[in-house]
Amino acid sequence: MIAMGAKGFFTDTTVCIGCKACEVACKEWNQLPDDGMFFTAMSYDNTVSLGASTWRHVAFIERPVPLGGQTTAHGISWLFMSDVCKHCQRAGCLENCPTGAIVRTEFGSVYVQPDVCNGCGYCIAGCPFGVIDRRAGDGRAWKCTLCYDRLRGGLEPACAKACPTDSIRFGDVDELRATARARLEQLHARGVTEAYLYGEDAARQPGTEGLNAFFLLVDRPEAYNLPPDPVVPTRKIAPAWLSLAAAALGMAAAAVGAVASSQERGHS
Amino acid sequence: MSDRGSVAAEARTAGEPRHVDPEVGLLVGEAAQQRVPAERAEEGAPPYAVWDRSVAREERAAADTTYYDRPVIKEPVWIWTVPLYFHAGGAAGAAAVLGAVAQGVERRRLGRLVTRCRWMGAVGSALGSGLLISDLGRPERFLNMLRVFRPTSPMSVGSWLLAGVGALSGASAVLASSDGLLGRAGDAAAYGAGLLGMPLAGYTAVLISQTAVPAWQEARRSLPVVFMGSAMAAAASLLALAPLGPREEDAVRRFGMVGQIASLAGMLAVEREVSRIERVGAPLRRGPVAALWNAARAAEVAALLLSGFPGRSRPRRTAAALLGTAAALGLRFAVFLLGRASARDPRATFHQQRAGRGAAEVTGTAGVASPAGDGGEAATSAEG
Repeated sequence: MIAMGAKGFFTDTTVCIGCKACEVACKEWNQLPDDGMFFTAMSYDNTVSLGASTWRHVAFIERPVPLGGQTTAHGISWLFMSDVCKHCQRAGCLENCPTGAIVRTEFGSVYVQPDVCNGCGYCIAGCPFGVIDRRAGDGRAWKCTLCYDRLRGGLEPACAKACPTDSIRFGDVDELRATARARLEQLHARGVTEAYLYGEDAARQPGTEGLNAFFLLVDRPEAYNLPPDPVVPTRKIAPAWLSLAAAALGMAAAAVGAVASSQERGHS
Repeated sequence: MSDRGSVAAEARTAGEPRHVDPEVGLLVGEAAQQRVPAERAEEGAPPYAVWDRSVAREERAAADTTYYDRPVIKEPVWIWTVPLYFHAGGAAGAAAVLGAVAQGVERRRLGRLVTRCRWMGAVGSALGSGLLISDLGRPERFLNMLRVFRPTSPMSVGSWLLAGVGALSGASAVLASSDGLLGRAGDAAAYGAGLLGMPLAGYTAVLISQTAVPAWQEARRSLPVVFMGSAMAAAASLLALAPLGPREEDAVRRFGMVGQIASLAGMLAVEREVSRIERVGAPLRRGPVAALWNAARAAEVAALLLSGFPGRSRPRRTAAALLGTAAALGLRFAVFLLGRASARDPRATFHQQRAGRGAAEVTGTAGVASPAGDGGEAATSAEG
């Protein structure tokens, strides 16, 4: 939809240190309530996934799998990824929203207007990344706003501002793509051949026509809980409408047939 | 002194989950208005079993990796009122169609059927709206559904259809016994309701197919047939519960039987579609969803046999109607639960997309991203 001047994130997971400063900064700036305190036994991850009150989530992938540049002593590799709403060029949540609560902003980001959302939940089922969710007790759908309020004031989003290693980079998506490709080349030259970009443009991720928040990863997307070939559900729906049209005509024909062939005595 | 100060600050933030002291901070952030329930028992506990896994177990299945088996997409948040609405709204739409056809073919001799279909369209739509509103996170904002018309959203399309059928069926029902101009207006409204009732009876299948839920997405071609047939069966079963004229009862019976045959055929097609990917079809092969699905099918076959064989005693008709209603309801709940089970399984999504049935199915290009030499893309082109 909007390509020129769109703002977004490039998250380079190879320099993420798993400090969760982004999670904290996001909570603080947006004044998000807590999600409850519990121990998950999932490495250092205690927020589990993105949700209504978790708009940045750091994934911890701690396995006895050797990976270039990511392996510690004892052969354990540790991957971190700060996940966030992808602000897809074709967004499943936006295209499903029946109230017009979800809009595309002047920054190319996808924004839920809390004063319009009536909590129907259709965006939640429509997101191929499992990002947006409904807050229990609040009843509305919430997700990352790309810090719309900060952007309006000329500031970068809280998570990118707080990131101590610049793993989260904020800027014009066009410029971020160039940065990401340069970084990828650098890594490949250093022998980290498994590094690749996830969702950086429409050519690499045609199902979403590219993500305004894209990633540099070193393992399969599944390891980070990212879908390998996501698609906005709207793109697959034409056969269903055709099927419905045929079935509706079939029902009308059945009604005509049933009424016309009906008999006064029934059949005996 | 400072101790007393902090006690006072604690008192000021008591019950405020963000612990922002109003004397030193303002609650003006994007999510400052996010309501937090007073009752928060559920949130303090982990939402799933912990301590039952080890890193070593993860490693064993490196080629089929997930993130601690956590779901990759969110499970639909809809409650039981939604599948119940599929039933009520479907019956309302199918009744509106049958009523409009009966009115067009032979109004004089099918008058009772016509009137009853109008009422069923009106009551079904009203009941259905109530069920949908009760599912909303903010029920008081239900009118926002008619704030815009968005053709990309089946829920938006459906909201307008439901409002249209409800209003037109209601008007036609109220005017059913009127003569002259008012009677003709009622007839026109009934035709309008019949026209909108056609998509209303089955659009919910399109609605659930347009989600990231693998099983619903895979079944998108056959689900509309299942839902449409089930709507016809549901309407006919409800209409058969109270006596009508012999010819009217015969018309209802035939209409319902066609619906039952269509929905049974559609169910076979759904099974075939979801079974293309082993993991996507898994909930339909074993477990509670499969049990409900098969029970609904058995009830539907029984109802069909009871309606189809000669002899029309009242108890038998009632038994067929009750079985038909149970089958239609069971089927909607089975489809609903199938989607929820499918959404909980990250491998359903991963396997579907690795097999070339993600974006690659519609874009022609495999968008599967993977590290170099991973073999993921090769697998995709081989299978897709």
